[in-house]
Amino acid sequence: MANFIVRRLLTMLLTMFIVSIFIFALAEIAPGNVARNILGAFATPEQEASFREQLGLNQPLHIRYINWLVGSDWRASRLIGMPLTRIKKPGTDFYQWWAVDEDGTLVRWKLEEEDLIALRRQTDGTVEESLDNDRWQTDEEGVSRAWGVDTHNHAVMWEKGSGETYWMRAKAAGWWVEKSGGPRTYIPLQKGMLRGDPGQSVQTGRPVADTLARRIQNSAILAGIAFAIVMPLALVLGLIAGLNEGKPTDRILSVAGLITTSTPEFATGIFLILILASWLKLVPGATVFGSERAIFENPKMLILPVLTLTLIELGYVLRITRASMVEVMREPYIRTAFIKGLPYSRIVFKHAIRNALMAPITVIMLHVNWLIGGIVVVEAIFGFPGLGKYLYESALYKDIFAIEAGAMVMVFFAVGTQLVADIVYTFLNPRIRYA
Amino acid sequence: MRDIFSLVSASKVALAALAIVLFWIFVAIFAPVISPYDPLEQDSTAVNQGPSAKHLLGTDDLGRDLLARVIHGARVILVLAPVSVLCALLVGTTLGLSAGYSGGMVDEVVMRILDGIMAFPAILLYLIILFAVGASAINVVIAITIAGAPGIARLVRSLTLDIRTREYIAAAELRGENPFYIMFVEIFPNAWGPIIVDAMLRVGYAVFAIGTLGFLGLGLPPPAPDWGSMVARGRTYIWINPWAVLWPSLAISSLVVGLNLFADGLREEVTRYQ
Repeated sequence: MANFIVRRLLTMLLTMFIVSIFIFALAEIAPGNVARNILGAFATPEQEASFREQLGLNQPLHIRYINWLVGSDWRASRLIGMPLTRIKKPGTDFYQWWAVDEDGTLVRWKLEEEDLIALRRQTDGTVEESLDNDRWQTDEEGVSRAWGVDTHNHAVMWEKGSGETYWMRAKAAGWWVEKSGGPRTYIPLQKGMLRGDPGQSVQTGRPVADTLARRIQNSAILAGIAFAIVMPLALVLGLIAGLNEGKPTDRILSVAGLITTSTPEFATGIFLILILASWLKLVPGATVFGSERAIFENPKMLILPVLTLTLIELGYVLRITRASMVEVMREPYIRTAFIKGLPYSRIVFKHAIRNALMAPITVIMLHVNWLIGGIVVVEAIFGFPGLGKYLYESALYKDIFAIEAGAMVMVFFAVGTQLVADIVYTFLNPRIRYA
Repeated sequence: MRDIFSLVSASKVALAALAIVLFWIFVAIFAPVISPYDPLEQDSTAVNQGPSAKHLLGTDDLGRDLLARVIHGARVILVLAPVSVLCALLVGTTLGLSAGYSGGMVDEVVMRILDGIMAFPAILLYLIILFAVGASAINVVIAITIAGAPGIARLVRSLTLDIRTREYIAAAELRGENPFYIMFVEIFPNAWGPIIVDAMLRVGYAVFAIGTLGFLGLGLPPPAPDWGSMVARGRTYIWINPWAVLWPSLAISSLVVGLNLFADGLREEVTRYQ
């Protein structure tokens, strides 16, 4: 048993590793688009190149993969010769990277003309500027170089006198401005996926991990409520249909189940909006959520998304339960119970149901991929601020780090549930356990 | 063919489902004849209108006739769905045959990779393809092929494992036939039956998937009349013009439900007669 779980865990890790490489390689087809999409159609090739460099997109694939997986700060820290640390900018969601001096002060640098200026962060949060030209190191050819942390969360190498021009997004202008005094090389600083930092959104500049955490919470609430409604309802209806095999009750439930399952999620959602919100005006019409916290402020808004998910999942679970119940009722031991003269209710509740429920419960766990698909589409229709919509928008806006992280989280859930389902199934089924 | 008909006519539900499917096939074939307007023709004087004598189903936000767009949308989906299933069939069968017939390392590697793809939620695959390459008819086919091929490969592999042990395969090997001949001429025709039944079921799923892809923006690029993208576009104007989302939603639901009920009825009748 332990052997089995360990082997499955290793397979899961291997799957996630393959998937991460797969996503990375696919995303690699797109990087030209990433820059284009953010910068707009009128960006010059220089702006695009500068942007790609600042994001680290110009580096070879394996370096980028390692940065993304385990972070780049340790590598940058070696080059700079000082430990690096990440703090949250007070009052915002944004992170800042600083180098740590021997006496514990946080320090970053900027280049002005030929001079390197150290920005030391004081304990009260203010920054003190001082000249720091001792960091320049001159090689045999007389070129002076210095590694440091710049004010935009890169580890960079400046070259004295070269003063590269670069382009950066100016907050005030809202557009890209040309600046001089840029560095030669950039290493975007990040802790890496495994250490909980998959980078920042290219679109908003916010750390992906923070947004993702809130989005997962919202999606979990949506899926949880839908699940709590679907499961009892579908199992009961499925048992009823299974007990009445071939009778009108069964026919109606089975066909209705197939219809709700076959209808694409987006069409179900549209029908519900049109009937319940537009026509009967039973639920709030504004199904677009304003903020990420909106579901807590106005829980009524959850009604339509939950209902859509319920309808989609209901038919599927119902039909599996029905099939399983029909099969169990044909077993010889049930026939024996009938012949023995046991009352019908006792046969159903004591002997049949327990065995009939085993198949649907494990199959449902295995079918989590399908639920995920439903959630993505439902979130897209209703503008629900969950993981699915985050991924969808990341895909539309070519937000490379967001989609990589979101995809990994989603695959983790999918593969993880399948693992749990397998383990639960082995516990429930002694034939596998003792084999 | 006659058997299939007698099987289907035994079940009223399957018969109704078949009627729906045949209706859409008819619409798709005769689209240019029965369509009242060009699906791309814009009329700026009749924007977001409800049903009227001039526009039987109303118009969308650009003044395009909804009836014409729904009719031509049937063409799009009824061409794309079978083509994608055929591609998935081609890739899946080849992989399944090679894995099942070669065995050993090839089998292990191919099946592990396919397991990896199957662990992947299909929707995620669609989103990543949308991210990486964008919307086009070819990409729809690619997306559905990648999502569908592993399942077909598994089925074909299990059939191959069984057929491989038969005498006529041993005979062919003794004759010195090359592996491709054995896989495609000896094994494949004998695995044909279950593969075809499986493929029929997959067409319904492909229509479903193409609709979803269109809705997510990975369908045919605008202005093509694609049911999914019609819904996505109309979603913005749902409060002023519910018709623009209602008709394409009804169209795709009826087609998928028809295909699935038909396949389901067929399967039920077949198992009853066996």
